[in-house]
Amino acid sequence: MSAQAPCKLKASDYKSDYKPVWCPGCGDYHVLLSLTKAVAQIGLRPEEIAVVSGIGCSSRISGYLNCYGFHGIHGRALPLATGVKVARPDLTVIAAGGDGDGFSIGGNHLLHACRRNIDITYVVMDNEIYGMTKGQPSPTTDPDWDSKLAPGGTGISPFHPLVIALASGANFVARAFSGDPNGTARILVDAINHPGFSFVQILSPCVTFRPDQKEWKNAVHPAPVTPTSDPAQAARRLMTDDGFNIGVLYKGAREPYRQAVVREPRVERDIDEEFMV
Amino acid sequence: MSRVPSNFFAQPFSLGELLAHALAIELDAVQSYSELAEQMRQCGNDDVAELFERMSKLEAEHASKIREEAGDTELPELAPWEYRWLELEAPENIDLAGVHYLMTPYHALSLALDNENGALAFFEAAADNCEDDRTRELAIEFADDERQHVAWMEEWLAKFPEPDTDWDEDLDPPAAID
Repeated sequence: MSAQAPCKLKASDYKSDYKPVWCPGCGDYHVLLSLTKAVAQIGLRPEEIAVVSGIGCSSRISGYLNCYGFHGIHGRALPLATGVKVARPDLTVIAAGGDGDGFSIGGNHLLHACRRNIDITYVVMDNEIYGMTKGQPSPTTDPDWDSKLAPGGTGISPFHPLVIALASGANFVARAFSGDPNGTARILVDAINHPGFSFVQILSPCVTFRPDQKEWKNAVHPAPVTPTSDPAQAARRLMTDDGFNIGVLYKGAREPYRQAVVREPRVERDIDEEFMV
Repeated sequence: MSRVPSNFFAQPFSLGELLAHALAIELDAVQSYSELAEQMRQCGNDDVAELFERMSKLEAEHASKIREEAGDTELPELAPWEYRWLELEAPENIDLAGVHYLMTPYHALSLALDNENGALAFFEAAADNCEDDRTRELAIEFADDERQHVAWMEEWLAKFPEPDTDWDEDLDPPAAID
């Protein structure tokens, strides 16, 4: 963050002129709302924020914001975000995407981003499906979810994002629900302000391919515990997690990654010289 | 999640707080309806888009009225989660689970009616939880306004018969749904 005084922008001031093309009723609308409320609440200026995303319905979010944005390639939101943060540590960097992008194609990047503990906030809008490509099962899909594209279900145990993030070294681990935009904004404020790698899984229903997820609003419940800074305690809590506990699970105290050597920024002249033929 | 204990009764509403809540209700509604109108336009559901546009304009008028009412009263700056609603979200915050690209005016007006009833319940409850008579009178006035909105919405809704049960049947559905 820069040393400028906090600005007084409204949440809507962070939205770009591009209108979302998500399906009506998609949970991602409320994630967008929550994110804009969160950065407005922190008082960040749009030019102090970079939102980097991968591919998928939810990854479109970077285009719907008027801060710096990079709509990257599939599964690569985290490497891109890492590069942005290392090059521009003054920026608040938020990586965003879906469960397919983040846990399957980008799964390995998630492990190492957690391990490196770079000061990034990673927001995964989890709808347990690949929505953009018409509803294939993703790493978080239940094994018995029966569909035309996976008759009888996959039979494969789902990925548990919070367990993986915690075990891999994320410094902040939380779960939110898109149907609670104000609560989600609060968690995002916490995540962005917490030093190091913050991982936030946001349950965000896909109304088109998973209309059953409309029931999530009746299933989610606030986690009946306060955040812990003890990873062992957080892990024990996850052993009894039903997947619908909402709140901050873990706030670690690990020192975020910092570059050992900060090079002088290159001046335009140097770059011109490099490209001279 | 909507059944979680509310902090509504944690303390009585001051005049500024009540006005801040009233304004937030209307501004949330303006934004929600306007976004829903855009979503419906994109899906080619123009009738419903037009309805949401009209609702957004109506809510903007209500917001202006509240601003006038507020005058020079200092409104507290509240974080989104510091508002004290009866439920988790502001009463006129749209429940996305009720939104569908094939929804009809009947569904749109039903959603709006639910929201107006939510706002009415909020102000009725607030009237019983105010720190002074002036604030209480204003809460009662806002509740009366919302009661009128409910009546309008019911009247409007009565013009649209409930659609058949297969209203959401799409003859060209996205793959994997059928």
